[in-house]
Amino acid sequence: MNAHLSNDELLDTFLSGETGAELCDELARRAAADEGFADRLSEELRFSESLRQVLGDGADDLPTRFLGDLESASLSAEELADRVGEGAATRFEGDRLARHLWQDPAAAAGMRRRLALDEMLRLALVESKDEDAFLASLETRMWAETGKDRFVDDFAKRLDREIPVEEEVPEGRIVAFPTLGTFARMAAAAAVVAFGAYFAAQSLALRTNRTRTPAEIVKATPDAAWSHGAAPRLEERLAPGVYELKSGVVSMRLADGGELTVQGPARFEVGEDASASLHAGLALARAPMGEGRVKVRARGLSFTEPARFVGIDARSEGATEAVVFEGIGGICLGDPSICRDLSEFEAVKADHLRGRLVDVPYNPRAFSKAWSLASGVEDNLGRVRIELPGSVLAAIGAEAGEVRVFVENEAFRLDVELEVDRVVVGEFALAEPNPGQSLEAAGKLRSYLVELPPTGAGEVETSLTFDHPVVGVIFSDERLEGSDAAVGARLAESGGALRRGLASGEDEILLSEDRRTLNLRLRGGGDRLEQVRVLVALN
Amino acid sequence: MTSEQRDHFIEQVREHHAGLRGFVRSLGVDPMWVDDVAQEAFIVAYNRLDEFDRERDFGAWLRGIARNLVINERRKDARRKRILSDNLTEVLVASSSAGEEEAEEMGDDALARVTALKECVKTLPERSLRMLKCRYEDDCSAQDIADEFSMKPPAVRKALERLRTSLRDCMEARLSPKPAH
Repeated sequence: MNAHLSNDELLDTFLSGETGAELCDELARRAAADEGFADRLSEELRFSESLRQVLGDGADDLPTRFLGDLESASLSAEELADRVGEGAATRFEGDRLARHLWQDPAAAAGMRRRLALDEMLRLALVESKDEDAFLASLETRMWAETGKDRFVDDFAKRLDREIPVEEEVPEGRIVAFPTLGTFARMAAAAAVVAFGAYFAAQSLALRTNRTRTPAEIVKATPDAAWSHGAAPRLEERLAPGVYELKSGVVSMRLADGGELTVQGPARFEVGEDASASLHAGLALARAPMGEGRVKVRARGLSFTEPARFVGIDARSEGATEAVVFEGIGGICLGDPSICRDLSEFEAVKADHLRGRLVDVPYNPRAFSKAWSLASGVEDNLGRVRIELPGSVLAAIGAEAGEVRVFVENEAFRLDVELEVDRVVVGEFALAEPNPGQSLEAAGKLRSYLVELPPTGAGEVETSLTFDHPVVGVIFSDERLEGSDAAVGARLAESGGALRRGLASGEDEILLSEDRRTLNLRLRGGGDRLEQVRVLVALN
Repeated sequence: MTSEQRDHFIEQVREHHAGLRGFVRSLGVDPMWVDDVAQEAFIVAYNRLDEFDRERDFGAWLRGIARNLVINERRKDARRKRILSDNLTEVLVASSSAGEEEAEEMGDDALARVTALKECVKTLPERSLRMLKCRYEDDCSAQDIADEFSMKPPAVRKALERLRTSLRDCMEARLSPKPAH
């Protein structure tokens, strides 16, 4: 059938991807008979491989990938399955596992069961994957894809026609369908369409300052490492350009006063105008203190409303998630006509494949590592948990002996002087009634609430080091109550009848001489919610 | 629209979503996209409800739709794919069956299995639970977990494997019929 083709035609057919046995046989026959044709075939194949390497996904990273593939060639089938299960397998490893599974159908079935169990574990462990979240998200998507706001009703009617309703529905398995909230959000989303042109206007308004470095690193975790060729040239200063953080977490201050915390692996860009774009990875972005908004873009996403503190998860190729921690966030996907208006502790996923935004449940856990750095608690000793934004005070779920640290209010100013407890710096002292002292209403503050729930854990010792100086400590019940409103604490109250604060004559407190480290020895648990409010000066 | 009809719809999704999500993942779909594919299957089911054979099992029909969606993923260009590997998905799809004989994890018993699994998870020691949450809730790699727990990555993988096995055993035990007293 191929015998009538010229050598050129035969070669073109082969190189364009037709590799049937008959064609290959004919090629082999002609190559055997014609040394020149054999050389040409060999050269064309070499060139094709070069093209494949140059044009393939991640071509820039090919040598590294190839070496990685060589290293993983020694992995067993079980190890390969582990890597696939983890989502850490390379394409080469996936292919190797596939070859193994083709030869062993029982192993293929086992792999499927394992993957299914993995998914069930997610369903069992991850709150944001529960039924209600799935239903809410499905409803939003149905609405978005069909444009019918009566979709659920329609579907229900059609289901009733097709599938007979069972006589009895097991009790306790039906919950109210969350339609109203979702539709309200949709209505709100429509309202923010008009803000789409914000970024064009913003870019005009920004003043370019070429003499200043647009960003500088203010802190980093010890494991922070940059990719070769994509690291800051100066140790702490970032010139305009693209950077690749291989691992660890780095916080940087942008020239306009905003803050960006990036968690590796991540790729991001800093612009001359102190703007930043996250191309891949995970980041937290804070607006400049006092005014302004987050000036960070993520792959395909922009913020049009004055969101003051947001989280961006761009780890997946096809989707980017954005979470608003503080302020109101108008989030737009590429085309400014597709926007969502988010309030605090709401999240949205941008599906780049289908060009749409989908509401997703608020689940900030992905930002835990970055938050540990961004929270301003630089170091801690003992069993300490830095609570994520949106966490509420609740003794339920607290672990015995674990000290929880909440950022109560990111940044605020006092209207009037505030009475705080008197603490002698540099030495441990018993927490006792004291005349107190006044904290002047000057400058910006951040408030932390340190809490040990009454879990009967015995003596607990902890040490917290803050990235700003501590200017006020409040540990007595009355002063805690009295300062709740002044610091604008928005955490849900859970103390109930329990007394708050440190136990007089039992607990001890020490503020270091540099006013950065607070040490606590807590012994008075049981009948009280041991709390200390820590106020740090931001400027 | 009566509340009974609304409840019935919710009941259908509740009845089948867990099994469908397990089934979708078992075909090698990226964990991040599992819910997306499962939801798409529900939407396709809606659009094709007229084609549904009432004699058949609704869950099996949904799985058939999902299976086709996953097969179609292989034809997309690499940047748009929701699967981990073409070749892996090919072999996993070949070993799958969308029908009623599908394994319990991916069939209509899945809901009961997830409920049992939740109970089993509650019995885990705190450290094991933290490790599992890191893996499944925070998507930590073995290396991340190793860093957090001062372990080596191979030891983490072994520990996770042991945890999975014990949880599977616990789940099976909870689901098996108990002798009468």
